[in-house]
Amino acid sequence: MKAAIELVDVSRLYVVGDTVVRALDRVSLSIEEHSFTAIMGPSGSGKSTLMSLIGCLDVPTEGRILIDGEDTSGMDEEELAYIRNRKIGFVFQHFSLLPKLNALDNAALPLLYAGVGQRERRERAADMLERVGLKDRMRHRPSELSGGQKQRVAIARALVNDPSILLADEPTGALDSVTGHEVMELFHRLNEEGHTIVFVTHDRSLAEECGRIVPIRDGRIDDAT
Amino acid sequence: MMLRENISMAFSSMAGNRLRTFLSLLGIMIGVASVVAILNLGRSVSESISQSFEIGGLDTVSIMPRGSARETMIFTEEFAYSLMNEVDGIREVLPVVSSAANIRNGQEIYEGASIQGVTSGYFASNALELQDGEFFDAAANINRRQVAVIGSALASELFPGSSAVGKYVSVFRRQAKSFFVIGVLSDKEAAQGSSYDYSLFMPYNTYVQRFRRTDQVGTYIVKTADGYDATEIADSIERYLNEIAGSDYYRIFSPATIKEMADSVMSTFSAFLAAIAAISLVVGGIGIMNIMLVSVVERTGEIGIRKALGATPGAIRSQFLVESVTLSLSGGLLGLLIGSAISYAAVSAAGWTLHLSLGAVAISLLFSLAIGVFFGWYPAAKAARLAPMEALARE
Repeated sequence: MKAAIELVDVSRLYVVGDTVVRALDRVSLSIEEHSFTAIMGPSGSGKSTLMSLIGCLDVPTEGRILIDGEDTSGMDEEELAYIRNRKIGFVFQHFSLLPKLNALDNAALPLLYAGVGQRERRERAADMLERVGLKDRMRHRPSELSGGQKQRVAIARALVNDPSILLADEPTGALDSVTGHEVMELFHRLNEEGHTIVFVTHDRSLAEECGRIVPIRDGRIDDAT
Repeated sequence: MMLRENISMAFSSMAGNRLRTFLSLLGIMIGVASVVAILNLGRSVSESISQSFEIGGLDTVSIMPRGSARETMIFTEEFAYSLMNEVDGIREVLPVVSSAANIRNGQEIYEGASIQGVTSGYFASNALELQDGEFFDAAANINRRQVAVIGSALASELFPGSSAVGKYVSVFRRQAKSFFVIGVLSDKEAAQGSSYDYSLFMPYNTYVQRFRRTDQVGTYIVKTADGYDATEIADSIERYLNEIAGSDYYRIFSPATIKEMADSVMSTFSAFLAAIAAISLVVGGIGIMNIMLVSVVERTGEIGIRKALGATPGAIRSQFLVESVTLSLSGGLLGLLIGSAISYAAVSAAGWTLHLSLGAVAISLLFSLAIGVFFGWYPAAKAARLAPMEALARE
């Protein structure tokens, strides 16, 4: 199988005052296309750093990251923005919706930066909201939606530009267990439809629902099997 | 492509915080309002000055030989013809002699009237009209007839309640001379200093024979031909006179030249005031920069989200730049309205007519645009430079 994401000897160092913090230490990892992978570790283990590197929100201090076979090292901000826009869909723990936009415009936002015209943006975002079961909530603002509904808007937004990889950072962390399960089911369905899903969590029971667990501790991958 | 989205985002963010938006617009608004008010007032004052010169005749140049010029023998009646031949663009030259005199009809006496010896063309040239009787003609001038056309105010002083035409008046200047009134002028607004309404006009040659011991003309009134600039003709006349006589022997006066000077003084003055008012525009710009910097900090999380979704640094920069331009242009438009209202009120109170300065409109809009770009640039660049990860972390 082809690798959707490949990390080769990736390190990320932060300078805090006089000390250098090694948040990630020579991590190598390959994530296959159409897989469902959980990156699991306690807080401070480096899993969020790993997620932002995979998502091209940050660049490694050392090593190389390949997305869809494309080497991202040496890319400038414009090129990284392009990768984020076309190849990656983000789902955040706290939804990260823009409070002034309604569900439809929130879901359509990636298309704005892809240069899609307004009419098509709205059509595609509406289709996607329908797919996540929010057909009748499109004109509502985030403040008028429940936590589960907000996370569905965020998932619709992540999917709207048809990325190959879906990156989710504790997507059920702010939801009650029933709603959390519904969201997990949605992820499973999307995985069955062919999306590569990378899931960051500290919750072992959630991680065990995924096809593969990548445990991370102190900036290193414990056992990459 | 994204301009429309950016503008609508700008308005929604401005509407989300109305009081703050208004306060940050205030500086630009006051600045633009004062620049617009000053320029409009300047133009209105300048137009009203112009109008007073236009009554004096912008097509007129007056040449007044000095007493010392008598020895040169240049400024005779014939000089009028040679001037027309020597300088282009002159329609006609009217010699005028004048002085003050007392005028009497029986018991009624008017002291200090202006008596003027003019040729028959004078009336038409100065657009004078009759309310009664007739003007004298060229023959009256040649025959040195003792006839007079008098101003409306003089007629009512000397002949209260009756017509002056067909009556005699006595003109006292060293000795009394009797004149037959053949015409009374309609009221006419005075040009600088000289009132037609209190004047008595007689044929030029009659005046010279009866009241003057010299054949030097008092004033030459030069009327310029259509399509010629009176200030240029005044300059040409001056050059010609300096050549044949010298600058000590005459004075020259043209409303057009004075208007030009007044215009230039007025526009320098209002430009100066506007420049002072423009300082408040800079202050307003700093206000906008301040609010945009606050806005970038407050919306760091939003910037992070947008970047995560694929916004390039350029897209973020234009979003904030458009917002600051929208902010300052809105301030500029409000200022334009307020400034126009202020100038309208001031001009109406002073009894002038409002002349809107198109330059003020252009300057205020261009300035607010430039301020929006200039003072919005740094905050927008700062927003564009934010690292996506750090921005998201601050959400």
